[in-house]
Amino acid sequence: MANYDISVAHLYGNLMNTYGDYGNIIALTYYAKQIGVTVDYHLVSLNDHFDPETYNFVLFGGGQDYEETIVAHDLKTKAEQIKTYIENDGPLLAVCGGFQLLGHYMIMADGTKVDGIGVMDHYTTNMHDDKITILNGKRLTGNIVIKNNDTGETYHGFENHQGRTFLGKSERALGTVISGNGNNGLDKTEGVIYRNVYGSYFHGPIFTRNGNLAKRVLATALSKKYPNVNWSEKLSQIDTETF
Amino acid sequence: MTLKSSLARATAKSSYWVLRHILHRGGTSLPGKLAVAIDPDILKTIQQDFDLIIVTGTNGKTLTTALITRVLQAGGYEVITNPSGSNMIQGITGTLVTTKVKSSPNGKKPLAVLEVDEANVEKITNAIHPKMFVLTNIFRDQLDRYGEIYTTYDKIIAGIKNAPDALVLANGDSPIFTRGDFTNTRRYFGFNHINPTDFKPAVAPINTDGILSPTDHSVLHYDFITYANLGKYFSTTDQFARPELKYQVTSVDQLTPKYSQFSIDNTPLRIEIGGLYNIYNALTAFSVGREFGVTPAQIKKAFESNAQIFGRQEAINVDGKDVTIVLIKNPVGANSVIDMMLTETDEFSLLALLNANYADGIDTSWIWDAEFEKLHHTNIKAVATGGERYQDLRVRLKMAGFAEQAVYEDLTKIVAAIKALPTKKVYIAATYTAMLQLREQLKAAGYIKGGF
Ligand SMILES: [Zn+2]
Repeated sequence: MANYDISVAHLYGNLMNTYGDYGNIIALTYYAKQIGVTVDYHLVSLNDHFDPETYNFVLFGGGQDYEETIVAHDLKTKAEQIKTYIENDGPLLAVCGGFQLLGHYMIMADGTKVDGIGVMDHYTTNMHDDKITILNGKRLTGNIVIKNNDTGETYHGFENHQGRTFLGKSERALGTVISGNGNNGLDKTEGVIYRNVYGSYFHGPIFTRNGNLAKRVLATALSKKYPNVNWSEKLSQIDTETF
Repeated sequence: MTLKSSLARATAKSSYWVLRHILHRGGTSLPGKLAVAIDPDILKTIQQDFDLIIVTGTNGKTLTTALITRVLQAGGYEVITNPSGSNMIQGITGTLVTTKVKSSPNGKKPLAVLEVDEANVEKITNAIHPKMFVLTNIFRDQLDRYGEIYTTYDKIIAGIKNAPDALVLANGDSPIFTRGDFTNTRRYFGFNHINPTDFKPAVAPINTDGILSPTDHSVLHYDFITYANLGKYFSTTDQFARPELKYQVTSVDQLTPKYSQFSIDNTPLRIEIGGLYNIYNALTAFSVGREFGVTPAQIKKAFESNAQIFGRQEAINVDGKDVTIVLIKNPVGANSVIDMMLTETDEFSLLALLNANYADGIDTSWIWDAEFEKLHHTNIKAVATGGERYQDLRVRLKMAGFAEQAVYEDLTKIVAAIKALPTKKVYIAATYTAMLQLREQLKAAGYIKGGF
């Protein structure tokens, strides 16, 4: 078997990994290994340079409010490179706080407004916003099921967020909420898809419980680096964990 | 004491008696509720009878409270304490009003050592001004309920501010305890068991929280890490560093799953329980004891003569199998258990049980921050999974490289599951309600007696 490898960047993994987000990389690595692909892990954190050419997949997880504030500040120095990575169709999974910070801004539970880097078109307000008519003042916490309208796949997870995210015109939801609350509890959207970026409020983490999504993102990453191999075909021959 | 407070106390005591001796229920919540209903100021009234020590933090406070109690008793104090688990305001009130306070054999004022839930510290200190706050640690713990580590600490700080004269005795190895704008005197305990020539500079692993310096928010570095984000930390961008320690672990001599040998302030000690985190619990108790004038020799004796208090790590025999049950509830706790298994030299099997009820924490994502991969460095021979969320654990362990697993969806088959494991030694790691269900099964099969 030929030897293939991909390089994964865990953006602020030491500060934004509050709900087992690293599990997404464990899942990706688990599937990659079975098709002969090695995953090289790189932590890219405060004061580190993010080179858009180096990585084949990026994970940007969620954090606590304090850490998110510090990250938001540093993220500005990487904004151009992250934009380049995204616009070049680089695969990226952004969870919770990471999802929020790629958008225009987020308002934290205490009302503080934190600037995102605006490389994507959504924004996030907080649970105390007057516009929020459902579950105002409450965290959106619990099990959630959504349906991906592109593929028909169903995804299972757990959401736990105070922020209410509203998608922009260039964005579509990762899925429609079947049960649970999703991005804001109002419009039945959960997460985001933009180019090869997937955003979500799912903990669980999403790739561990929804192997079909993990495999699709892995195939995208591999096909960009090794276009002459039929990765989807290879991945279809191994078992998928979904529960 | 006023008539009202006497009546409140008498009512609480009689309801406690009825609960315990007629209804055979242990709880102290109802007596507490009744007492407060009759006299809302009951706690203020009874506080003259004792000096209060509040023990709080996310992990290990039950065992630490029990250890502190034994240490202080060994030093000649009369000590009141709350039973395990009853660490909310009502249960505590119940404990205090139903316990008869005797005078201390050493002639000093009796002490109340209370394990207090982080969110209840402020409520207790609104009524009673403690002499001392003991802060064990703050790890991420069931965020679906209480929020983030700094939010949790803020709740404790609100309580500390109610009692500015109280001493704050805190774990100096945890960077969070250097934070907080309260004026109380602070003293710290921690680990100093490594010779500076053996320091291995490191940063904390990515699955830990609370790693930023409070001064300039830079990522902390460590001369050594004991576990999670605990250790001898320092900033590389300014002068911020771990504060000076008043009480310290000066050597770690032997770690096994069943006992640990170490020294604190050069006194050799032994506790009948494994796990480095339990040495922190012992260190905490040692520090409190020293603050109250208990001698190192008395503390040593207290540790050695009270082997049975290490109840949460329970050893039972199932038809010749040597079974150890450990509670897991959050990533740091689970990793501590995994670290403890790394000190096991015999072959063993692991049965992991996961539920996601309210008492377990309804979010199971923390299992992905538990480093089950490390188990490949042990003599582990078999892995089995179960509980209501067996799927999550099965996949977690499969992705950790344990392809072969017996899976038990139904805990009624758990006794058979234990017997089916290939090794004499078996570790069962279970979340809270899974542990209760497991105990029911073991009780029904006659392997353990009594309730929980
Ligand atoms: Zn979240």
